[in-house]
Amino acid sequence: MRKSLLFGLALLFSIGVVFAQDRTITGKVTSADDGTGIPGVNIVVKGTTTGAVTDLDGNYKLSVPSDGAILVFSFIGMETQEVEIGGRSVIDVAMGLDSEQLAEVVVVGYGTQTKEQLTGAVSVIDTEQLEMMPKASFQDALQGSSPGLQVVNLDGAPGAGIAVRVRGIGSINASNEPLYVIDGIPVVSGSVSNTDFDNGGRSSNVMASLNPNDIESLVVLKDAASTAIYGSRGANGVVLITTKSGKSGSGKANVDVKARWGVSENAFNNLLTGLNGDQYFQLYVEGYENIGWTTQDATDQFYSQFPVDDNGDYYSTNWLDEITNPGAVQEYDISVQGGTDKLNYFISTNYFDQDGVVVNNFFERLSGRANIGGQISKKISFSNNLAVSYFKQRGITDGTRWQAPFYLGILMAPAVPVFDETGQYYSDHKSFFMGGNNPAGHLHDDRRNLRQLRVTDNLTATWNIIEGLDFRTAWSLDFIRVDENLYANPRYGDGRNVGGTANVAATSVLNWLGTQTLTYNKTFAEQHGLSVLAGYEAQKVSEDGVEAYGEGFAHPTLKNLASVANPQDVNSYLTEYSFESLFARVNYDFRNKYFLSGSIRRDGSSRFGPDNRYGTFWSLGAGYTMTEEGYLQNADWLNLLKLRASYGITGNAGIGNFDWAGLWGFSRAYDGSPAAAPAQVANPLLTWESQENLNFGLDYEMFNNRLRGSVEYFNRFSSDMLLDRPLSMTTGFRSVTENFGDMKNFGWEFVLAADIVSTDDWLVTLGGNITLLTNEIVKLDEAFLDGTKRREEGRDYQEFFLLGWAGVNPVNGDPIWYTDSSKTETTSNVSEAERFYDGKSATPTAYGGFNLDATWKGLTLSFMFNYSFGNYVYDSPGWVLHGDGRFTPRSTSQYAFENRWTQEKADAGQTEFLFPQHRWGGNQASNQRNSDRYLFEGDFIRLKKVNLSYNFPQSIASKAKMRSLQVYLSLDNYWTWVKDENLTFDPEQIVSGVYNTVTPISKTVNFGINMGF
Amino acid sequence: MMFGASSCGEDFLNLQPQQSVADANFLKNVDDFRTAILGAHDQLQNSDWYGRYFLLVPDVMGEDIKQNASANRAKEWAEYNGTSVDFIPNEFWAELYEGINIANQIINAEYTAPTPEVQAEVDHIKGQARAIRGLAHFDLVRLFAQHYTFTAGGGHVGVPIVTEYNVAAKPARNTVAEVYTQVIDDLTAGYNGMTLDPPNAGYMNKIAAAALLGRVYLYMDDFSNAEAWSTTAITEATAAGKSLVANADYPTMFLDGNSSEALFEINMILVDNNGSDHLGGMYKESGYGDYLPSNILFTLLDTLNTDDIRGKGAMWLADPNLTGIFGSVRVNKYPSAGSTIATDNLPIIRLSEVYLNRAEARAKLGTNDAGARDDANMLINLRTNGFNALTTESGQALVDAILDERRRELYAEGHRIFDISRNQLDMDRQDAADPANCTSITCFEAYPNDRFILPIPLDELSANPQIENDQNPGY
Repeated sequence: MRKSLLFGLALLFSIGVVFAQDRTITGKVTSADDGTGIPGVNIVVKGTTTGAVTDLDGNYKLSVPSDGAILVFSFIGMETQEVEIGGRSVIDVAMGLDSEQLAEVVVVGYGTQTKEQLTGAVSVIDTEQLEMMPKASFQDALQGSSPGLQVVNLDGAPGAGIAVRVRGIGSINASNEPLYVIDGIPVVSGSVSNTDFDNGGRSSNVMASLNPNDIESLVVLKDAASTAIYGSRGANGVVLITTKSGKSGSGKANVDVKARWGVSENAFNNLLTGLNGDQYFQLYVEGYENIGWTTQDATDQFYSQFPVDDNGDYYSTNWLDEITNPGAVQEYDISVQGGTDKLNYFISTNYFDQDGVVVNNFFERLSGRANIGGQISKKISFSNNLAVSYFKQRGITDGTRWQAPFYLGILMAPAVPVFDETGQYYSDHKSFFMGGNNPAGHLHDDRRNLRQLRVTDNLTATWNIIEGLDFRTAWSLDFIRVDENLYANPRYGDGRNVGGTANVAATSVLNWLGTQTLTYNKTFAEQHGLSVLAGYEAQKVSEDGVEAYGEGFAHPTLKNLASVANPQDVNSYLTEYSFESLFARVNYDFRNKYFLSGSIRRDGSSRFGPDNRYGTFWSLGAGYTMTEEGYLQNADWLNLLKLRASYGITGNAGIGNFDWAGLWGFSRAYDGSPAAAPAQVANPLLTWESQENLNFGLDYEMFNNRLRGSVEYFNRFSSDMLLDRPLSMTTGFRSVTENFGDMKNFGWEFVLAADIVSTDDWLVTLGGNITLLTNEIVKLDEAFLDGTKRREEGRDYQEFFLLGWAGVNPVNGDPIWYTDSSKTETTSNVSEAERFYDGKSATPTAYGGFNLDATWKGLTLSFMFNYSFGNYVYDSPGWVLHGDGRFTPRSTSQYAFENRWTQEKADAGQTEFLFPQHRWGGNQASNQRNSDRYLFEGDFIRLKKVNLSYNFPQSIASKAKMRSLQVYLSLDNYWTWVKDENLTFDPEQIVSGVYNTVTPISKTVNFGINMGF
Repeated sequence: MMFGASSCGEDFLNLQPQQSVADANFLKNVDDFRTAILGAHDQLQNSDWYGRYFLLVPDVMGEDIKQNASANRAKEWAEYNGTSVDFIPNEFWAELYEGINIANQIINAEYTAPTPEVQAEVDHIKGQARAIRGLAHFDLVRLFAQHYTFTAGGGHVGVPIVTEYNVAAKPARNTVAEVYTQVIDDLTAGYNGMTLDPPNAGYMNKIAAAALLGRVYLYMDDFSNAEAWSTTAITEATAAGKSLVANADYPTMFLDGNSSEALFEINMILVDNNGSDHLGGMYKESGYGDYLPSNILFTLLDTLNTDDIRGKGAMWLADPNLTGIFGSVRVNKYPSAGSTIATDNLPIIRLSEVYLNRAEARAKLGTNDAGARDDANMLINLRTNGFNALTTESGQALVDAILDERRRELYAEGHRIFDISRNQLDMDRQDAADPANCTSITCFEAYPNDRFILPIPLDELSANPQIENDQNPGY
């Protein structure tokens, strides 16, 4: 494939062939718009290779074979016309703009281009999806929608984070998140929360402030030709978000009102469930019998630990029922847009409220936007985009923290009742059972609250100096303030011995940006299109925060630090970074057939050592629209065939703000006085990771556009990767951050869409995309262990390196292990077993999405799927949840209970067991975490969305005084197929493939109505 | 033109961290030295050093502390099935060498004070740093190498000696003898360099350095020097008003802190403690509660009369949830331990041990049995009202009696496995009275034993080619 693309590129220099003719037709092709002649229009005699091209004035002359009957006029951006020759010898044609193609203006860095002009790999996301989003953040709409993008919900809780990877993982320690640019402002993404409810950044998402309904255009830049203009921040791809603006026109206001209601529950139906009281009692006694206790001793201890009800029976609490409830979502959105030649506006307000499937877990947002633009004078125009967004989130601590609902919900004994005799949440088990945590009580008595206020303002003025030459100045401010309030009650859980605890934290992020650009657009000699951009940009981002912690509350209603007995800790900090950049880009096209582009950016950043502070990044791209050539003129079935190629260097500056500096840290104290110690190794040479990015693309449209799509080959080669080089710990440090190591991600992307049925009433479209990705660590001086994986040269970065689980010895119920990768010998002594590679990686071999849309008159039914194949997922809490009694006396799952080894089953002749015997304190090596016992196939297909919508006919809508009226019913995540029947957690996991008892993804039924006035 | 006009200048990119200080700007005045030596003390306070595990692991490897059924921490070391990837050896190695680096930064900092008074304080701080560096090497060699007399002359493999910061260093393991030479050199230099009185026992000081030297020589079987340095420590401690803690204060000596016999301990105060990772939390149900007093320990204490303060009620905490062989009380040496806060000070060396060190040294020298008995009786008479005081014991019987007294006095303070191995004893958890009553999966480990010491952590082996093939046997 690569060869044929190169061959195609070689054709850039070839010329069409002209054949001999019979009779002569002349004429002029003009624009239907203004009557001027159009140069470069292709004219062919249908069914032949005979053709001509109009001259600079739009005139043409063509010899037509005697049997030629129809002329086909085509030009990029114009609607193709077929004209019967009949007896005429002069045929004039007025060509109109092709409305379908006209819409394809694509937002790129610091400007726009038509789709035809693109030389790079750019995905335009269908923003219609953004209007019926089940999630708070627009990032969810990226999932499955475009090739090359791996989009994962980090956590199923409302408002939680979403990870996006563009064409694989390009970095080990620096960020792998794309750069997000909202209305020209490179913004902070991810979590800026101080505590994130102790969830390590996955539970809060600064992007959730943006109302998805406000987004006009969502574009992902994937290769160097499109991202190099963002220089040191382009290596992970760029997500460009443009918000809506008013349309200049008659001045009539368009009002849109949208409303949506939905209910949700856990999407994956093979999640673990807990034991009931009888099963727990049985397991409890069995666990002690298996370490040599008598049944009587074990039973006595059980009753000494757990209470009984009025009938003298132990309790049987279903903890998962206690901590979950049906989720609900509602959203209302009103927007008004309109304008005249002088002034245009888009204003909106939105309310979004989602209750999670975990009790008391919610996300609630109120946001408003006013985008105003207009003409100050004939030469000067302006726009100002102002957005204010506020959200409130009540989160949960998840992961493998004791309070995590889907962790504690399994581990907490069903013999523990929900309430005690006084009606308070039961906590008498605190002396022996996970701090007396009460899974249900925690969600009521404790607090995990977060509020975020974000104000973004972006003022732009454009001065049209002379025709084609514009100076644009843009000044932006993005302010984010996050307030958090955490509280743990005094009776049980974390606060039990200190009278309760409270944390408050306030974080502010101020992002300041000034961008000055000059652009020049001109067509020379009516066939050489030139577009030049030059710019200067300066940006500074400061983050400061205050946090405080205290202990000891006198009364359960008191939750603020004012009433705390022991103020324990205060902290404040300030950290900042800056970028200063020069950039330029040139786009050239010849007759809209050959395209060349080049861009360059020089970046300086405070994040890098003084010795290596500046870097230069660049790209070159070329495009060739083959269908504009004569030799393809008679291929009627082929509407578009375009080749693209690009190469360039981008950077990844996504590291800490002062990683280069040798530092003494002051996060220490002794005996009430501040203390200091060396905290970081100096490396003044530290600089950005750089990435060579090669891309070949082929766009095609055929059979009257009924079949269309693209094929891309990409190769991202990351070098100078920032890695923590392990040090001998005798130095006092464990590692130093250095630029070494290479990694590559290469593969193919295919997009295909076909209108299977296309009649006046019916349109049925089948579409899909697939990304085939290969990752390889090309250079790494020393292999190193990293949790479940080992990073080694020549291997996939995400390949698991684990102990080989050989199952259960049917004779005695003990776990057994393979001694090494040959899997020929087993041992029951884990220290005789070694970890090994088994060709299993968290990197999917293929991922993407596909969709089926059927429209009949106003009724549309659409299905959208996303999928991932060939990846493995690791159950990181498995060693606790399924630790065979490792943690006395924690409960376990039904699944483990049913599949464990018992003497009875062994005596009955069963020889295959999934789980070893249950033994309090664990079996030998029950504490082995890095074992492929907990590794599963991650292949899945998920029906991400089913949408049934009906657009009422204009006649009905106008009777209700509406411009338009639509109602819809949608199902999100309603069906999931997984390959591995033993998988007991949601297959959609973070890119590392490691499951961490996060809140599962939920499925939602939505009903909505959209009204236009 | 446009670019020049809008440019922000060099300073725009020249940002400085606000919560840290660049290397080049630190240790430039006496305040920096004060802050840095507190950093070294804070490192000793780390829960992977004297803040918890260094005072826990040597006990759980012995007989006097047993593991609760639900134990989850230090489990591999109590059961003798740990590996080189486990957390505890890795953290010991990393945190202790980090302490050495802090000390080295102070010791090697070039700074000339403006006045003799300031110079004296800087010299004192450098002396503290020397002593802490010596202590860190001593602790490392005890954890990761066989005891000094394992081979004649201590020529067997020890741990790397680090006296200078070099980020690229990948040092080989020195011999145990070399490490002990360094330890003695550092502690002696520290003893000579420290001239100021500490504000309380929470700071490295001259008497503590002398006392530690006594212990180091005892570990080397250099009993004359052990006796001499212990005598120096006792003399200077007495002159400074130190004395053995009165029985009334004994159960709360760590809770109250800065007791009359504390020579050097880790201060834990309300605003600065190890929270849930406190040593006491390992013993108490309000914390993790993983470890319990063993029946062997009760037997040891029960051979004395009920007047022994160390066997009395306040030293134990009843726990009704402990049943059967795990019943029914917990160690209460560190009474304040809750789940998220504990303010008990933690011992590094105290006067009782110095008397026991000297008693053992004298008994093993065999030239002054009366002196040995007197030293032991200092404790016995005080703690037990004179019951079972030593009268005529000599030879091995005297040594055994002193070692038993050491267990009674110092259990749960991080001594036992070191005392076992340097005395070349077997680790035997089988209660003589009830041999079947061993609660562990590991009941007996004979001397000599590869597993009396910890493995060099795998992370070090992979980062340091000089050590890569020098793992301790048995791991």
